[in-house]
Amino acid sequence: MSDVRNNRREAGGSSVITANRLLDGRIVWQVAEGDWSTIIADARIIPNADIEAAIAQAAARQQADGLVGIYGVQVETDATPPVPVTVRERIRAFGPSVHPDFTPVAELEAHA
Amino acid sequence: MPLLENGRLVPDDWTTLDADAPLPATGPVIVPLSRLEEGLARPHGEKLGVAIPQDAEIDTLRTALPRLSLVAVTFPIFRDGRAFSQARALREHLHFTGEIRATGKPLPDQYEFLLRCGVSTVDLPPGSEPEVWARAHTRFRTAYQPSVLGERAEGVTLRRLLG
Amino acid sequence: MPDTIQAPALPVGHYGYDQVDRAFLADRVEQFRDQVARRIAGTLSEDEFKPLRLMNGLYLQLHAYMLRIAIPYGVLDSRQMRELAHIARTYDRDYGHFTTRQNLQFNWIRLEDTPDILARLADVDMHAIQTSGNCIRNVTCDQFAGAAQDELVDPRVHAEILRQWSTLHPEFTFLPRKFKIAISGSPNDRVAARFHDIGLVAKPAPDGGTMFDVFVGGGMGRTPIVGVHLRDDLPEEDLLAYLEAMVRVYNEYGRRDNIYKARIKILVQALGTEGYRAKVDAEFAAMNRARYRLPPETVAAIRARFGTPDLHAPDDAAEQLARARRADPAFDRWVRTNTHPHRAPGHISAVISLKPAGGIPGDATSAQMDIIADLADRHAFGEIRVTHMQNLVLGHVRQDELHALWQALRAADLASANIGLIGDIIACPGLDYCSLANARSIPIAQKLSARFASPELQETIGPIEIKISGCINACGHHHAGHIGILGVDKKGEEFFQLTLGGSPGSDASVGQILGPALPEDATVDAIARLVDAYLVHRTGGERFLDTYRRLGAALFKDAVYATA
Repeated sequence: MSDVRNNRREAGGSSVITANRLLDGRIVWQVAEGDWSTIIADARIIPNADIEAAIAQAAARQQADGLVGIYGVQVETDATPPVPVTVRERIRAFGPSVHPDFTPVAELEAHA
Repeated sequence: MPLLENGRLVPDDWTTLDADAPLPATGPVIVPLSRLEEGLARPHGEKLGVAIPQDAEIDTLRTALPRLSLVAVTFPIFRDGRAFSQARALREHLHFTGEIRATGKPLPDQYEFLLRCGVSTVDLPPGSEPEVWARAHTRFRTAYQPSVLGERAEGVTLRRLLG
Repeated sequence: MPDTIQAPALPVGHYGYDQVDRAFLADRVEQFRDQVARRIAGTLSEDEFKPLRLMNGLYLQLHAYMLRIAIPYGVLDSRQMRELAHIARTYDRDYGHFTTRQNLQFNWIRLEDTPDILARLADVDMHAIQTSGNCIRNVTCDQFAGAAQDELVDPRVHAEILRQWSTLHPEFTFLPRKFKIAISGSPNDRVAARFHDIGLVAKPAPDGGTMFDVFVGGGMGRTPIVGVHLRDDLPEEDLLAYLEAMVRVYNEYGRRDNIYKARIKILVQALGTEGYRAKVDAEFAAMNRARYRLPPETVAAIRARFGTPDLHAPDDAAEQLARARRADPAFDRWVRTNTHPHRAPGHISAVISLKPAGGIPGDATSAQMDIIADLADRHAFGEIRVTHMQNLVLGHVRQDELHALWQALRAADLASANIGLIGDIIACPGLDYCSLANARSIPIAQKLSARFASPELQETIGPIEIKISGCINACGHHHAGHIGILGVDKKGEEFFQLTLGGSPGSDASVGQILGPALPEDATVDAIARLVDAYLVHRTGGERFLDTYRRLGAALFKDAVYATA
């Protein structure tokens, strides 16, 4: 993705890796290589020093994994589970603010 | 590279020259626009084509056109649609009846558009699947506007019957 | 429904498809099914697939795919509305969003479902063709077309001609950038003709036919510009030829090196009006004019595919309406704000507000869509129009039936009496949905409409247009808002910049930036202070826009940036 907002990271922080699923467009977060979850709480947290390599690794297999638009999202330093630092990524992680019932957790439960 | 005409692969008799390759004295060659004078200096009767960049003004070919058998237009990326207008201008403004060849990176999904703008052959980009192009050739039976192909209108409607 | 009128053979208000049109749409659906299969198989890369899906209205947004469905010239029929409701229930989350370009968007679509959704749409003669991409987009039109008292020409037949002509146009599907055409047939511009790539104003020709005034190079986005007047009195038979020439010049010379400078407005500014006109005239002279001629028989044939409403009202329809208004003040207020005069005696056009106080502008649930479809059948020949203000219109309602219509709307929470008032806010989807957005538009709209919920207060404030965009692309038309609100991103947080004095109509103007952007939690209060300042300083029945134009920005600036 060429969006500059997707590369906004500080040297010292940590990030998680995100993408959209090709088939349904849903947002996913990387749990481990080849393993993705719709819930950001499942995501692995990667120091920013290592994030570019991890993104490149994930991007190399995105067609096989059925993903598009892989990039890294900086998260608050102390928050567990991870919380993105920008409004945009918080909306991606937790759903549209105008529909509090449409959270990824609720969707997961509805399809469980 | 494979050449497509009317949805089928056909042999390509033409040699495409770059800016530096020596110009053969005989045989059908496509020269870049920068070497058009050189090409025109060959004996009359030797088939000559010219490859134009996507920002060339078609009108600059006006005097040379009677000597040209082929004009190659190009899509450096498939989203750059200037070659559609160039092909159309060649047919409509300059009444060119020779071969118009699409080069570069057009998509099979653009095939009908290419034909309806006056392109006759496509130099298929590497990795193309000819059967996808063939499917695109017969995809639609109707178009909603006139084109330089002069397809028959369906009654008094805007619709044109393809194929 | 027991009292449904017999459905006419042709839909009222829009072109009725025949077998050839349906076969074309079926081919288009199969083409997309094939493209989706190639994408999933990996033979099409995302880069290659993206423009193909966009030309079928399919975006990848923040949370999922978004499907934008074309509503040509903003007119749909009850059968189509019910299908949209069905798709909302089956494939989405039970609602749809009507847009400023008179389209409908679903926000939670799956790529793998899309070919089936497009097939369902094709069953009711609908599609998503060219609702995105660098091509000629859905042609927009006056929401009161064919009904308004002030109309000179019903522009919808020509809008349909432009829809057909631009559909999979071989030359103009890979333009430098998107291309938007609007057409009006009234001297009172309700389509923002001067804010479009091409704006057309239809008017009667001396020979009894139609001719057009042509505007070009208007637009919003990063560089808001009011379009220039290209020519008057374009004869109908030259309409397509002249548009071919206009778009060709753009395709050949429009910039492709910078996406922010690629719209035709930049070309027109670079060449100057005279320079652009000279190139268009040269192309117009060189082209095969006979090939592109639009003969009157073709116009007549397309006109014949439009159903026309049989407008008969009882002689005392107006009297009955007047009686109902006297008896019911709430109804009376709604009639004052939400109706528009009709050319036929005993009739009126009714606007259904999709702007309930505190609600999401332009959203309708599938249940509401079904109700609106039923009401359109009962009261308006099955015809529904979408407005660029994100509301709906029933164009031809009998005045003696208006009270019954209003009661039914009220029961469905669709009777907000706020058209043209402060609650009638335009908002793009913003950062809640859109991957381009910098800030959320909808929550600002919700807070404003809740704050000014009182119908009495709204009428006191009078006509005022608030328009909110979540980014510089200006889908919320903020440049044309009396009060425009633009969301900006400052280090990942939302801020809002105010512009004042924009107007979309015949007196088109671009709003001027008032001052530094405000934090999200200060924006609504600042606008409330701005409105208070207007109420203090207006004279007589002056609109907000007129007070601003008379007094300038200073006093509003003081009000907005006053610290409490």
